[in-house]
Amino acid sequence: MAEQKPMNPLEMVAFVLARQIRDHEVVYIGTGLPMVAAILAKKTHAPNITLVYESGAQDPMPGGMPWSVGGPFTWRKSPVILEMAYSFGQCANGYVDRGFLGFAQIDRFGNINTHLIGGGFHEYKHRLTGSGGNNDLSSLCEQMVLVGIQSPEKFVKKLDFVTSVGHLEGGNTRREAGLPGRGPVAVVSNAAVFDFEPESKKMRIKSLHPGVSKDLCLLASGFEFLVPEGEIPVTEMPSPEVLEILRKDVDPRGVFTKLPGA
Amino acid sequence: MKFNYNEEAVKNLNIGDTTVLDRLVDTASAREAHLKKDRARRDKRMSLAEAVREFVRDGDVLSDTGFSYVRTPIQAFFEIVRQGKKDLQIIGSPNSNQTYFIAKNVCRYSHCSYAGVEMRGTDRALSRYVKEGRTRVLSEWSHGSMAQGFKAAQLGAAGLFSRSLLGSDIVRYNPYVRVMQNPMKAESEPVVFVPALYPDVAIVHVHAADKYGNGRFFGPAVNDIAIAASARRLIVTAEEIVPESDIRYNNKGVAIPFICVDAVVELPYGGVPGSMPGRYYWSRQWWEKLCRDAMMSEEKIQEFIDYWIMDSNDQYGFLEKLGGVKWMIESQRQTKAEEYDNEDDGFDFSYEEWTNANPVEKYY
Repeated sequence: MAEQKPMNPLEMVAFVLARQIRDHEVVYIGTGLPMVAAILAKKTHAPNITLVYESGAQDPMPGGMPWSVGGPFTWRKSPVILEMAYSFGQCANGYVDRGFLGFAQIDRFGNINTHLIGGGFHEYKHRLTGSGGNNDLSSLCEQMVLVGIQSPEKFVKKLDFVTSVGHLEGGNTRREAGLPGRGPVAVVSNAAVFDFEPESKKMRIKSLHPGVSKDLCLLASGFEFLVPEGEIPVTEMPSPEVLEILRKDVDPRGVFTKLPGA
Repeated sequence: MKFNYNEEAVKNLNIGDTTVLDRLVDTASAREAHLKKDRARRDKRMSLAEAVREFVRDGDVLSDTGFSYVRTPIQAFFEIVRQGKKDLQIIGSPNSNQTYFIAKNVCRYSHCSYAGVEMRGTDRALSRYVKEGRTRVLSEWSHGSMAQGFKAAQLGAAGLFSRSLLGSDIVRYNPYVRVMQNPMKAESEPVVFVPALYPDVAIVHVHAADKYGNGRFFGPAVNDIAIAASARRLIVTAEEIVPESDIRYNNKGVAIPFICVDAVVELPYGGVPGSMPGRYYWSRQWWEKLCRDAMMSEEKIQEFIDYWIMDSNDQYGFLEKLGGVKWMIESQRQTKAEEYDNEDDGFDFSYEEWTNANPVEKYY
């Protein structure tokens, strides 16, 4: 293999997110980085996963990364192509093992905002996309994995709008609100992988990416993470072979995994 | 007052007169409209301009259909804008096509679940328009809850109890939904009541229809089966009009029965600049230019819409601007390769992206 360019942080995020997928699972894929991770997983360690998308597309023949969750790569020669209400029903009825979503803001309980930034519903700074399927996946999937870039503006004490409920206010509050499933089980950022402490349901550092110190990770957040006892493990890095697959076969144009300006 | 709206949401959204909310959930008037439809198996073909003139009315609740830019009747939407309809409410999951309606003062109200072009970008113009009050948000939704509202209408149910939205702020900004106790459960179990949703008018773009309106499509149905069954008025635009016998002998994918349909429009390339399964690929550069440049300022979005929509008489004029025959052939090759109807081994999906630094004038 010719000499490889060093891995960038977005490629690391895509790889770590892909590693959250276990082979033979049914996974529900939101738009953005989850689409990269799902295709990478399918082309590497999890060839037998079944992909479900919100347009009603599911179980495509292996292909490239979709440009939309309704695009042809999401229903390429699918045995059945269904509709939106059906696909969310599959989540609620226990046919989906794990959902994958991005976010604009997240809080310590894994609640998500994709609606607006700053200043409230009428006096915001930016209005974003709105929920799309974000609320439904968070509400209905058995387990959720969330992905986003880490900064104090994105990892916040209080969301500007609660689009989707993760662990709500922690403890048992998700269940009390009437929501099924275990809620978020992992958060992947460009600094670390997080899980949720089983009792309080607060976000906890699980592993730090190579080169990221605990202090740096804490600094890049508007709230404090729980920190496990003892030494914090270092997140696994992709092998050169996997990195090559990501670059060549999954996101060759770097739609998601190219750094801005690079 | 006919309806019981979620008072907290009405207040949070500053909705003064709630009658603006009524049409969408007025089951009785939808039933009335359906009862009055002409049952005759007659030739319903007409031009796009005629169909829009007759069946899309000022003040209507119009539903977006398809999936933003996948089998969405975008060319028919452009005709609505060109005809200068007024005061529309637009609803859809997704609802990515509102901006050009709002920019030309056609849409005054939005029922929001998602606006934007996924990884190409968010809708900066919509963000300005909502803040300036050029469109008013009447309700916030998730895809799943809105899909359940459409589905309830298709099933003829008054509504259904959803497990989405619980604990979120969306219930505080949606006058139609409310948190209730699941009546089937002895213990506390909150659920969200979602009423049946009846748009006034919908346009569904299909691969083939007969002249009576029986419509066949493939690819994700999204919400179109439900919407076609419940909208008060329904226009079908079709890539081609086929004989009734073709529909009957090839009935896989026929999802729209003629009795629902008011107008049939032969409209090849009616989904452009979006994609149509098996027929053409979306114009990636067009959507990139829209998100990365046109939506950034009022002047730019007006210029963009004037060029692409107001100054294109129909889809043929639009296609010429995209690149004409070359665009048509290239976009068919792209979608066939991606769908694996053509060999994709060695097929090159790379292209020159539209960026501010490199504003390409090539749309395939």
